[in-house]
Amino acid sequence: MLITSLLMSINQLLPVVILAVLLSLIVPLSQRQLSIYAVIGTLMSLVFVQAAAWVSQLFDHRGLEFIQMLLCIMIFVAALMSCQQRKMAAALALIATMTLYLSHYMIYLVSFWHSKDTAEPLILGTCLGVGICISFGVLLFFLLESIVRRAGVQPLVVLLAFNATAKLLIFLDLASQVDLLDVTSNYLDWRGFLVENSELGRVLKALVGYEATPSKTALWVYVIAAVVFIALARVLKIKKTEEPVCGS
Amino acid sequence: MNKWILALSMLLLCMSSWLAYAKEYKLILKDHLFYPAEITVPANKKLRLVIENQDDTPEEFDSFDLNREKVLYPGRTSVIYIGPLSPGRYDFFGEFSPNTARGTVVATEVNDADN
Repeated sequence: MLITSLLMSINQLLPVVILAVLLSLIVPLSQRQLSIYAVIGTLMSLVFVQAAAWVSQLFDHRGLEFIQMLLCIMIFVAALMSCQQRKMAAALALIATMTLYLSHYMIYLVSFWHSKDTAEPLILGTCLGVGICISFGVLLFFLLESIVRRAGVQPLVVLLAFNATAKLLIFLDLASQVDLLDVTSNYLDWRGFLVENSELGRVLKALVGYEATPSKTALWVYVIAAVVFIALARVLKIKKTEEPVCGS
Repeated sequence: MNKWILALSMLLLCMSSWLAYAKEYKLILKDHLFYPAEITVPANKKLRLVIENQDDTPEEFDSFDLNREKVLYPGRTSVIYIGPLSPGRYDFFGEFSPNTARGTVVATEVNDADN
């Protein structure tokens, strides 16, 4: 239970932390603003958890996937709009990401919270997972901040493009899961190179959406969407961030 | 507004009939175990997994091999479409109970599949 809680918390928290770090450097977000978005995101996750069991039965048991697909599209578009340093877009991207990921972990927490045998390892695993994610986030923040100082904000926009495009891969998997799209044939198999459930695999999955067995369709969508994201971000004219507000 | 609801209902109805051709396989989750733990399915065919969670806690169906992830709510039925799959073994597990809730989809050529 301890290991499961640890892995679950890392899997679900890391994507949120990474996006928060990226957005706080691209869009000048203060720590106060980040805190407010975090609270709203947590509340939205709770609402989602409450409604999820009911929603899951809608549209021939596909209601949950439809909502998650909508969230994925929202994250991609909002992340793109964030490149114009729109705080509302950054807030929307962060809250939608929290709703998408944290709701899973909350379902897990709520389910095993009441049992005496599981409560202790659950809390311990969660604390360890949160600690690891925060540590990773702090290191990533300073690494990316030094990149911004040397090369400007453009490398971060590229990283944000890959991160946001990864949500489209989730969209494709969900669409395939409810049989709206057929993307499961013609798989590539990179499991010999790097498996998804390894340490590096998990970090790369959270950072840029690494999949060990992507379909060729997914690969094409990933490349095209990332290029479109970067091109549109240039068209939208990114304002250069001289000094990141967060952490200063 | 009514027109929109009618149009959406018609669309979903058409979609449901369009999706109906996928062959259905039933999985049951009980005491944090999947029954059956191994299902043999025909390769290169689209399949509909109907999973019934008979436990009183949620579980998350997860598979790196199949690129599938779905929360299974207690006392509810969930549906996941998989395939067409190349012949081979595809592992899945319950993310909340990964030590016990484990299973495999075995895709075999149509003639050998256990239909």
